Formats: sequence, C-alpha cells, structure tokens
Amino acid sequence: MQKRARRILLIVLVMALGLTLAGVAKEALHIYTAYDADQAEVYIAAFEASHPDIDVQWVRLSSGQVLARIRAEAANPQASLWFGGSNTSHIAAAQDDLLAPYKESLAWQYMPAQFKDPDGLWIGLYVGYIGFVSNTEFLAKAGVDAPTSWEDLLKPEFKNEISLAYPFSSGTAYTTLCGMLTAIGSPDPGFDAQDDAYLAAFDKQVHHYNESGSACITQVGQGEVGVGIGFSHDILSKGIAKGYPVVMTFPKEGTSYEIGGMALIKGAPEPELAKIFYDWALSKEAQDLYKQFFRIPLNPAAELAEGSVTATDVQVLPVNLVWYGENKDDIIDHWHEVTGK
Amino acid sequence: MRFNVYQREIRGEIRRLVRDPVLLGLVAVISLLLLGFIVFPLVKVVQHSIWPKGVFSPKYFVQFFQRSYYWRPLLNSMVVGALVSLCGTAVAFLFAYGITRTDIPFKRAFRLIAIMPIVSPPFLIALAAILLLGHHGVITDALRLNWDIYGLPGLVLTETLAYFPIAFMILEGVLSKIDPSIEEAALDMGASKLRTFLTVTLPLAIPGIASAMLLVFIRSLEDFGNPVVIQGNYQVLTVAAYHAVTGMYNMPLAATLAIFMLIPTLMIFVVQKYYVARRSYITVTGKPSGIGLKSTERRVKAPILAGMVFLSVGILLMYGVVLFGSFTKLWGVDNTLTVKNYLYVFKVGGQYVVDTLEIALIATPIGGILSMLIAYLVVRKRFVGRGAMEFVSMLNFAVPGVVVGIGYILAFNTPPIQITGTALIIILVFVFRRMPVGIRDGIAQLQQIDPAIEEASSSLGAGFFRTFTRVTLPLVAPAFLSGLVYMFVRCMTAISAVVFVVSAGWQLLTVALLYEVDQANLAAAAAYGYVIIGIVFVAILLMRFVVERLFRRGFSPLSRQ
Repeated sequence: MQKRARRILLIVLVMALGLTLAGVAKEALHIYTAYDADQAEVYIAAFEASHPDIDVQWVRLSSGQVLARIRAEAANPQASLWFGGSNTSHIAAAQDDLLAPYKESLAWQYMPAQFKDPDGLWIGLYVGYIGFVSNTEFLAKAGVDAPTSWEDLLKPEFKNEISLAYPFSSGTAYTTLCGMLTAIGSPDPGFDAQDDAYLAAFDKQVHHYNESGSACITQVGQGEVGVGIGFSHDILSKGIAKGYPVVMTFPKEGTSYEIGGMALIKGAPEPELAKIFYDWALSKEAQDLYKQFFRIPLNPAAELAEGSVTATDVQVLPVNLVWYGENKDDIIDHWHEVTGK
Repeated sequence: MRFNVYQREIRGEIRRLVRDPVLLGLVAVISLLLLGFIVFPLVKVVQHSIWPKGVFSPKYFVQFFQRSYYWRPLLNSMVVGALVSLCGTAVAFLFAYGITRTDIPFKRAFRLIAIMPIVSPPFLIALAAILLLGHHGVITDALRLNWDIYGLPGLVLTETLAYFPIAFMILEGVLSKIDPSIEEAALDMGASKLRTFLTVTLPLAIPGIASAMLLVFIRSLEDFGNPVVIQGNYQVLTVAAYHAVTGMYNMPLAATLAIFMLIPTLMIFVVQKYYVARRSYITVTGKPSGIGLKSTERRVKAPILAGMVFLSVGILLMYGVVLFGSFTKLWGVDNTLTVKNYLYVFKVGGQYVVDTLEIALIATPIGGILSMLIAYLVVRKRFVGRGAMEFVSMLNFAVPGVVVGIGYILAFNTPPIQITGTALIIILVFVFRRMPVGIRDGIAQLQQIDPAIEEASSSLGAGFFRTFTRVTLPLVAPAFLSGLVYMFVRCMTAISAVVFVVSAGWQLLTVALLYEVDQANLAAAAAYGYVIIGIVFVAILLMRFVVERLFRRGFSPLSRQ
C-alpha cells in the first residue's frame, strides 16, 4: 500500500518537472498586448508561423492596464514588447522612462512624424476613430434616433442605457474622454467648466463601466444596454460583421481618434527577440492581417478592408494626443472628482 | 506568583526545544516561512498606506474619508456583506434543516446541489445571472420583465448562491448533532411543533448560525469574481482596490483600501474564532441516540421541500445556461450549437491550462504537507509561541485575497526577495492562502489519534521525522489526500489574490476567464469555466479512485468547507 502511494506521488512530481522543462526548452518572447484576445491570437499565430524558433508568450490587457503593469514591474520587467493599444498610454510610459528607443528600425525611419515618438520610444501601427454603436431594437422601442452628436448622448431616452469602459483601464474610453473634452466647451486640452458639467451629466446616463473598451459593443449587440461608445473598427468587426442588430453613427462635431502604438520595454528580458517582432509587426504581411478586423494600417502597402472607416469618412477633432498622453494621470484624477467613480 | 509560574513554564519549553534540535529546526523554519509569507506582506500593506515613499503621511487615510469614490465602496461592501450574510444563512438553514431534520426525499441530490457552488469557478454564477436575468436574459425575456440585475440586487443574488454552501456545511454539522430526543421530549411535554422549533432547535443552533453568518460575511466582503461582473455602478471595495492596482498602479491608495478591507474581516475573524466558536452547545454525548427522525407532517414538509426545489432548480438552471452558452455560436443572436468556443480556449489558452495545472500540482502537495506539519506541531508539541504560530497560520483565512495579492506585489517586487513574474510567487500565494483549511482539518484529524501510538514509535527509537512519516501520516492519509483535492480545487478556481501576481510568463485559467469576461466574450468565458469544471471533476474522480483503492475507505472531498 505504502509503496504504491509513494510511487504515485513520485509520478506526479516527475510529471510536474517534465512540464517545467518542456516550457523552457523553446526561445520565448514575452509580450503584453492590448488587442482583444481573439485578434491577438491571429496576429501572434501568424508571427509564430513565420518565426518557428520563437515562442510568443502573451497576456492580453487593456492599454491602461498594460501601463499600470509596466509601472509596477519597472524594477524587474517581465515582458519585452507592448503590442497595440491607444498611444496615449505609450506616451505616458515614455514620459516615465519605461520604454526603450529603437531608432534603427527602418519602419520607424520611414514613418511620418505624427505617427511616432521623435526619440523612437513608440511607433504607430494603425489608426482608429471613435464611433457610437446602438442596438436597433432598443432604438425602435425607445422611439429615438441613434445619437449623432456628443450632446445627443445626454438625451433622456439614453439614461441608464449607455455603457463604455473606465478611462483609466481602457485606451478606447480614454480616447473617448479626450474627444469629449475637445468637442465640448473650449477645444484646448484639459477640463474647463463646460467639460465638468457635461461629464457629470454624461456619467448619470451610464449604466455601467467596463474594464475593456470593446466590451460595450457585444453588450449593445446582446441588448444588455442600448448604446455604446467604441472604436469604429471594433464596432464593425465585433458588432456589425458578427450579425448583431446594431448601427454605427458618429458625432457631427467631430470624433476622437487613436494611434494604435507599439513599444519596446526598457530593461526587457528579450530585447533582441522583441525587435524581430517589432519589425515584423510593421511589415506588409503583418499589417495585411488588420484587414479582417477593419483596422486602418499605417504601412501604406498594406490592404484596407472594404467598409473601413477612414479619415475621409468622418469629421476628426484636433485632439492633442501627446498632451493627453503626458497628462493622463491628472486627467484621470479629475475624472474621478467629477464623476465620483 | 503567577508570573513566576509562567516564567518557569516558558523556561521549561525553551529547554525542551533546545533538547530536541529537529523540533527546534522545524519550528524555526516554519516560523520564518509564516513571518515571510504571511506577516511580511501585511506589514508592507500597512507601511505603504501610512508611509508611502518612506515618509509618514496619513494623506491617503484623509483622502479616503474625504472622497466619496473611496469610502462609498466600503459602505457598499458592508451593505452587500450584511444582506448576503442574512440571505445566505437563511438559504443554508433551509437546506440544512430539510436534510437533517425532516424526511424529505432526494436528500443526496439536494446535498450535492447545495455544495456544488464550492467547486465552481469564479464569475460563473454572475455570468449565469446576466444570461438569465440581464436586460435581455432568458427569464427576463420570457416573462417580459423590465428589471436591472446589475448593482445591489445582482450582487446579493450571486453572492448568496456562491457562499450559502459554506453556511450549509456549518449548519448541517450543527443541526445533525442536535439529538432528536431533546425535541422529542419537548413534544412529549405538549409543546407544539413551532414552539419546539423556536424554543429548542433554534436556540441550540444559534452559535452555528452566528458562525455561518460571520463566515459568509467575510466571504462576501472579499469576493471579487462576482462584483467585477455584475456590480454595475454599485462599486465594492475589492473592485476599487483592483482598479487602483491594475488600472492606475496607485499602490498607496490600493494599500489604504486594503486596510479598510482588513479591519472588518480581522475583527470578525477574532470574534468568530475566540468567541462564537467556543459557545457551541453540543448535545451529543459520545454515542448517537437510538431515536431516528420521525416522519414530518405534510404542512411542515411541503413548504420546505418547495423552497429547496425552487432554489435547486435555480442553481441547476444557472449551470445549465452557462453550459449551453459555451456551445452557442453567438449568444442571443445565433444559438446554433458549436464547439468553436472550446477550440478557441485550447488554442488561446492551451498554455494557460498547462501553467495552471503545473502550478496547482506543485502547490498542492507543498501546501498539504506544510499544513499537516503545522497542525502536528500545534496539536502534539509544546513550545514557545505555539499559540502565535496557530494564529498566524490561520490568519489568511480572514485576510481578503485582494489584500494578500497587493501585499505580495509590495513585498516581493524588489530585493531581497524579488519573485514577481515567476511561478514561485503564484505557488506561494496558493500555499499560504489555502493553508488555514488544511491546518484546521489536520488539527481535527490529529486530535482523534491517540498520542500513545506515536509515543510507542519514539520509545522504540524512531526519530521525529520517522515517526511523523511512518506513523502519523499514514494514519491521517485518507483525510490528508481528500484535503489535497480540496486544495487542488481551490488552486484551480482561485482568482482574487492571484490576479495580481500572474505575468506574461505564468498565466492562470481563471485570470484568462476574467479577461474574456472583461471583453464581454461570454461564450469563451463560459467555455473556460467548463474547462475548469472538467479538470476539477477529473481530479476528484481520480483521487476518489486512488483513495478507495489504496485505503479501502470512503472518500468525500466535499465534506469540508
């Protein structure tokens, strides 16, 4: 009896050891990605297919969460690359000296100035525009048109019917907040009295906040809430293309936008592998993958999906992304004050 | 005079320790581990809230009371905790009473349903609540209702269902120990059924009820999985602390919120452990009484049975809808059945399955043996600081997981012990967080074994370790193994502490499930949930097979809380 018990224990321990060894045998690259997991899986599988010697271990986090995690791990970074997410968070990280420059990258040298950090600390991958997504069944029942301006969101019909993410965790929601602050009152960056009043009123309309920016699209599709605010490429891929009964509209005063960014993390464990991924992510091969998710690639050679929302389709606000990136903490603090959330 | 006696006692204990170097070494090592991995992280939490950046400043405490978005979550947590503690204990009492004091049918099935939520992954009940009772939930649509499950109602509903099993375990134990002959006596003397229940049964169960309510309150206060899904705009403290860390990396704020979570749970823990738990009225005198249960009257039985059936159907429906959801193409729009969600889980989460299993399989035996060693020392040995060792090792029972997680980041992110990002930190969280239950069970087991057996071994010349491994362990082996299963299950389903210590290199299934929930990917989340349930189920069956084969004894991994 005893011997058998001991043998079983031994087998379990050997199995555990075996699993550990199997895990470390391949050359691993650790990355944080802000793409939704189902999308990240497509990009990373493509990379691994063309680089069979590299095993990418990745975690999906919203961009504000990536920023928080990189700050937490500053003394002991665990990942080498930050793949995707609104660049306001990359700018905040650059300001905190958490990123590593990569000016040798050809892609960085060819990239137009507005889509990259002058010191090479981050680079753009794609651009995206904020849109409103509304459930058509809800609109019909409530007898209201889909919102077409930031002011429309305050309509009594939308009370307790709007969902979006927390601006501190989600890049989508922070980009939305930057757009509101630009569109309402003075377009100067930061809060003014009208912004405070608008945000306090808007907060009353919100049914709940999510962690992740694209979650509201599914919630609108399923009728959990009536209206969501997200990136148009996500509304197209996660809402309309999936067959949910939703429509997409844009604020006529102009909408906010993001530059989806990528950066090398300072003091990273695998800087050379990260550079290989970095170069790949800006290649035509990689940027063509954005087509299936309606993202607008920044590599001019890459293909664009039919029906994508580009700068010529919508009014774009002059949002000062660099300023909002550098002042993200103060803006978030003030948002807490105004909304009490 | 008394002081002298104490001194002499302590001196005697020290002398005994010095004379037994193995015991001394063991006590020293375990004390160091407990100080390092239970006390030190808590000290760090306190330090970061009052001495942020090394300077004394009550700034964050002052802010806590000034800003409604800091103190309101505490208030909300308290309200939820109180309501869940009431509702959960009431539901548990109904089940426990029905099963132990009446002759209703299907007792085994009811019992299984009542303990099912213990082994289920986090988020699952909250997910089910949204699928069934959300704006467009199955039940909401079918009954054409217009209600809002997000916020307080959803929190109370989901946490009641998630935590009533704990109360059920306690109340089942208490009620089954009340000798039916006492009730019989009351009835014989002419008291009505109701009067007997109110003046005999209920008072005897009061300490158990109090214990159950307090434990459910603690569990509700530290719950993270359900609120993060269903709190809506009714923010609770655990989620606020999670945001402070994962959304803002504001560690002083997180530490301050953690302190305000810790104060009530520690108070309740002390009250429960040193006051309520000592006032149990046990009416058993050693042997079970010969009198069985009398058949219950229909008018008593019918409402109890109806209540239990209603709740059981509700629970089964919740598990069912999530299972169905995990097989749908696009929940709510295209309900065609498909396995693509499971393929997705294994494609995206294959590595997480391996990581989770590996970490759980390493943490489980370490935690089990350490718990048993501590239990052994506490029960069998006399040494200085024994009471303190017991208290500290049981402390994590009351420390909310979110506080443990925050403490571990603060304590182990910088030298001398820099282990964030490794598997080790996750293993340590599992070991030290799950230990209290193992120790409590170990103590209960060891108290039933006559020390004379071990003494015989030592007097035949066996050393401490030989006696422990050859005599003590085999005697407690079946209970020890089922304790391991419990530990393994909790490793597979843990979320609140480990969510802070996972990394790009080491990821867990529950955290992957959380991220799918974050993205409102409900079908994928449901599939992750059922993968976890599947693994847990296989583990329980496997262990049952091993125990029954090896020891030819009954096996019940769920007879513990």
